[in-house]
Amino acid sequence: MPRILLNLIVHHLHLSSASKMENLLGLTGKDFTIVAASKAAMRGATILKASDDKTRSLNKNTLMAFSGEAGDTVHFAEFVQANIQLYSMRNDTELGPPAVASFVRGELARSLRSKKPYTVNLLLGGYDPITKKPHLFWLDYLASVAPLPYAAHGYAQYYCLSILDKHHHPDIELEQGLKILRMCTDELQRRLPIDFKGMLVKVIDKDGVREIDWDSSKAVKSA
Amino acid sequence: MARRYDSRTTIFSPEGRLYQVEYALEAISHAGTAIGILASDGIVLAAERKVTSKLLEQDTSAEKLYTLNDNMICAVAGMTADANILINYARQAAQRYLLTYNEDIPCEQLVRRLCDLKQGYTQHGGLRPFGVSFIYAGYDPQRQFQLYQSNPSGNYGGWKATSVGANNASAQSLLKQDYKEECNLREACGLAVKVLSKTMDSTKLSSEKIEFATVGKTKDGKIYHHLWGADEITVLLEEHGLAKKEDTEAG
Amino acid sequence: MSSPFSINGGACVAMVGKDCVAIACDLRLGLQSLTVSNNFPKIFPYGDVYLGLTGLATDVTTVADLFRYKVNMYRLREERQISPQTMANLVSTSLYEKRFGPYFVSPVIAGINHTTGKPFICGFDSIGCIDFAKDFIVSGTASDQLFGTCEGLWEPDMEPEDLFETISQALLNAVDRDALSGWGAYVYVIEKDKVTKRLLKGRQD
Repeated sequence: MPRILLNLIVHHLHLSSASKMENLLGLTGKDFTIVAASKAAMRGATILKASDDKTRSLNKNTLMAFSGEAGDTVHFAEFVQANIQLYSMRNDTELGPPAVASFVRGELARSLRSKKPYTVNLLLGGYDPITKKPHLFWLDYLASVAPLPYAAHGYAQYYCLSILDKHHHPDIELEQGLKILRMCTDELQRRLPIDFKGMLVKVIDKDGVREIDWDSSKAVKSA
Repeated sequence: MARRYDSRTTIFSPEGRLYQVEYALEAISHAGTAIGILASDGIVLAAERKVTSKLLEQDTSAEKLYTLNDNMICAVAGMTADANILINYARQAAQRYLLTYNEDIPCEQLVRRLCDLKQGYTQHGGLRPFGVSFIYAGYDPQRQFQLYQSNPSGNYGGWKATSVGANNASAQSLLKQDYKEECNLREACGLAVKVLSKTMDSTKLSSEKIEFATVGKTKDGKIYHHLWGADEITVLLEEHGLAKKEDTEAG
Repeated sequence: MSSPFSINGGACVAMVGKDCVAIACDLRLGLQSLTVSNNFPKIFPYGDVYLGLTGLATDVTTVADLFRYKVNMYRLREERQISPQTMANLVSTSLYEKRFGPYFVSPVIAGINHTTGKPFICGFDSIGCIDFAKDFIVSGTASDQLFGTCEGLWEPDMEPEDLFETISQALLNAVDRDALSGWGAYVYVIEKDKVTKRLLKGRQD
């Protein structure tokens, strides 16, 4: 057995609950994808920054949100971003979200069997201007990929997926999507013991990527 | 030293020409003709196969038309041995792209990959350029059906109808005359055999002398490419009154 | 517990019938006890040959894509489809290339050899040792349960409809006793000149 890979898996599955405090959420609708990421940059119990942006736009119609080991995350995201932008420049076309997801997975899978793999979990949201379809991909640090209608990383997986199971439909409008997202973020605020400083919310549709004002100041009633 | 500027590909002549590249082009102009025609609903490639001897095994695979990828085929004019190297390179490049991006390589990118390789052989010393021209027919979702042509210099361009090989000048002018924008694949196939029948030496065509391939869309929107069998070619030739009568030339 | 083979979960089974074969897989992708996706197929067609892959999800994708590359190149070079037997040897040698850092997958192959017309199935360990079988092959986190259900239900020379019923019941009942697999299934029944692919809804819990 290759010790490195095994150790990595054991390490991640059992020890790093810190990165689980970073919440990523994503959901698709009729003609859009929403990606949300918690704004707290943490190190151990300390919050270093309350307005962290854990997302990068890879090209006009794809956005990647990331969580995981500090350093790895931004480095990997910007490495991927540079490569996708290089592709756009060389070929005068943008890669569609499924192609971007496949490329990112390939890089992560290659890294997994290297000396020092990236421990990065990702959500990749996009809108394909040719097929006019929204896309959302869930990737973990082992480079498993799943195309999904809604997805989450961190503790959001445990708190929000059940909410999404109940309320999500593939053909919802943006307004409806944001309403469901609000239910999710409220639940996180209600249940998580540490303030994750609210969510940064971005939408990807035919017009590209844009940020949405997301008010997290209102207190959520506890159960 | 009569030939000072043509023994190496890398050296320009005083007039600014690369003789080796021009010789390669010359070699191609003796090869069997190949033509490609872009239609609104597909592309047709047709090629003349030179029958050198009746002892030659004829039923073996195509020698001028090759599949490069699920979305692309090509016609070859020039040295088949050189072409095999390039075709293998193109197939690998296409599969590598599929492995990385999980979708077929866009047509122009594949053409460019091949042409970058071809170009290298006009610049690096001690090597001979590839003696092949290609006509490519392909499809990608971004730019739909596309027809390209490339030559040994590594230049390429997109075309509505084009030809390479022997008599390509006359084929080209015939195509220019008779090509109709917005023609469909059936009409394009008709034009292809008509042009071939005029540019080839023999007056009557037969399925042994030509190869045919089409790229198109099925009713449910799937892209297909198809190398024609001998019987399909015969039917097309008969349709246009170009088929060889068995008894007239048999004696 | 944290064996790479049982992080994501999943099950696959292949069976031989009379002039036909069947291969089936579940659709779950999980992270230990959490289900991430209920639409993660583990069977991949390569022309006439079907390859089922269970194990670590990342390697399932990697290996499936790698064989698509290899089989496409084979098809272009040879101008014919790959036979199940050739595919089995390709899988075996490819996996053994990674002997000291293997892909964590347990492949299963099913297909009909078009020159002989005979059904063929086989399975592998993660480093490419081939397990030829005349009856059935199982793999994945529910393999123990699958051995039981297959041993109980399989009989020789089943017709396609019978084979479909048998493999479906074998898979569905096996994954119901495994927490890491289930959530629907795909079943392929392969006959000489016909392939039927069916989606079984299955329990969504």
